[in-house]
Amino acid sequence: MEPILIILCVVVGGLLASLGAHLLPVGGAPAAMGTATGIATGTVQIMLGAAMTGLFTAASAATFTDSLLLVALSGAIGATVMICVVMLMANILYTFGCGIVPVSGRVDVDPLTKEPQAPYKTPQTDGHGVPNVVYVSGMLGGFVGGFGGALMYFALLNYADFTAGTAAIGALSIFVPNAIIAAYNIRGTIEGFHDPKFKRLPFAMVTSLVVSLLCGILVVIASYLTVGGTM
Amino acid sequence: MTVTPAVVEEGPTKKGLSFKLPLDETEMGLVAGIVAAIVVVFTGLPAVIKGIALILAFLWGMDSVRKTSKYGLGTGVPSIGVLATGFGVVGALVGLALAKYGSIEGVAYPAVLVGAILMGVIGLVAGILSNHEKVIAMKIPRLERAMMELGMAGTLIILLECSIVTGSLNFDAVVNQVLNTGLIAFMFIFTCFGLLHPYNACLGPDENRERTRMVAVEITGLICAFLGFAMIILSSSSWALWNGVSLLIFGVAVWAYFFWLFIKACMDEAYETVGTGMIKTIE
Repeated sequence: MEPILIILCVVVGGLLASLGAHLLPVGGAPAAMGTATGIATGTVQIMLGAAMTGLFTAASAATFTDSLLLVALSGAIGATVMICVVMLMANILYTFGCGIVPVSGRVDVDPLTKEPQAPYKTPQTDGHGVPNVVYVSGMLGGFVGGFGGALMYFALLNYADFTAGTAAIGALSIFVPNAIIAAYNIRGTIEGFHDPKFKRLPFAMVTSLVVSLLCGILVVIASYLTVGGTM
Repeated sequence: MTVTPAVVEEGPTKKGLSFKLPLDETEMGLVAGIVAAIVVVFTGLPAVIKGIALILAFLWGMDSVRKTSKYGLGTGVPSIGVLATGFGVVGALVGLALAKYGSIEGVAYPAVLVGAILMGVIGLVAGILSNHEKVIAMKIPRLERAMMELGMAGTLIILLECSIVTGSLNFDAVVNQVLNTGLIAFMFIFTCFGLLHPYNACLGPDENRERTRMVAVEITGLICAFLGFAMIILSSSSWALWNGVSLLIFGVAVWAYFFWLFIKACMDEAYETVGTGMIKTIE
C-alpha cells in the first residue's frame, strides 16, 4: 500500500489516456460516409476498445511478472495491435469497397512521406481513409493509451492490492472519463498530431490532471479502508 | 375549367400517451435520488423493490443524458453515458470500501452513500472544467449539474446492481460474487446502454421525453431479467433463489409491457404507418 505511487501512476495513466485520445484518427459519423479521414466511430468506442485489449494483454503479463515496465509495455503493445488492425481493415474497406484512396484532409503534403494529398481529395470532403501520417499517429495513440491503461492496472493491482478483477474494472473506469474529456476537447473528429486541433491538447491535460488526481485519491481511500487496514 | 378541391388537411391523429410519470426533470431527480438512496442503504429488501429503485435511477440518469445531449456534444450521445458509468464504478468502489462503517450486517449500510456524494463532487469538478471558457469551453447550459447528477446516478445504479446480486454490500462479498466472477463487465456495459441508449435511439426532430423514458424502463427491465438470471446461478440459499426467480419474472414482464407500449406510441405518433411488403424481385 503506497499512496504516493498509486496517485502518481493514476495521474500519469490519465494524462497518457488523454494524450492517446488526441493522437487517434477519429472520423465519427462523416467517416462512416467516407467523407472524413479516420475510423468511422467516436473517440469513446475506439479508445475503449484499445484500452480493453491493452488491459487483457497487461493482465496476462501481470500473472507471471512483477515488473511495472513489462506489464505496461504489454498493455501498450496489445492496444497498438488492436488499433493497427482496425485502421488496416478501415483502409481495405474504403479502398476496395468504396473505391476511394486514403488521403488526409487537413494537410496538403503528408508531413512524414512528403506525398501530395490535395490532388487526390474529393472536392467538398474532408479526406478519406487512413493515410500514412494518420496511421503512424494512430499507432502512437494506441501505444500511449494502452501504456496509460496498463500503468493504472498495475498500480491498482500491486500498490493498492486489489484483486485482478477489481483492478481491471477500476483502471477501465478511471481511463474512460479521461478519454471522454479528451474527446470533448477535440469536438468529435481529429486526424492526429498534424491536425490543428492537436494544439488544444493543454486544455484536456489540465482537466485530466484534476479528474485523475481526484480519482487517485478515492482509490487510495478505498485501498486503505479495505486492504490496508491499519497503516 | 375544373376546380381542384381544397385539400383537406388531415393532421396526424395524436392519441394521448398511456405512460406518464407526472414529474419534471428536477422532481424526477429528487424522487429517484431519494428512493434509490434509501433502497441502496437497506440491502435486506426483496430484489423486486430494488428493481423498481433501479428503474427510477435509470430514468434519472436518462434525463441527465437527454438534457445534456440535446445541445450537441460533438462526440455522440454514447460518450456521456459511458462517462457516467465510469464515474459510477469508481464511486461504487469507494462506497463499498466505506460500507463497514456504521453498518448493521446484512441489513443496512448507510456509509455507501458517501461514495455517491464524493462522485457527485468529482462530477461537478469535471463539469465545471469542461464548461469553463478558459479550459474546454463546451458551452452547454447546466453541464455542471448534469455531470454531477450523472456521477451520483451512476454510482447508485452500480451499487443497486451489486446489492441485487449479492444481497449485501459487504466489500468481500461483492468482490467474490460480482468482481471476481466477471459479472461487473456485463454490468458495466449494460449500465452504459441503459443510460445512453434511450436518447441515442430516440433522438431526432420529434423526440419527446415520454417516449424516450419508455425505452429507459424497457432496458431496465432487460437488466433486471439478466440480474435475476445471475442471482439464480449464484444463489446459495432458497431465499436468494426465489428472489432471483421473482426478479427474472418482474424484469421480463416490465420489458414486454414497455416494449409493446413503446411500439404502440411510435405507431400512434407517426403520421402514417404503411407496410412495404416483401422485397420484390425483378423478373
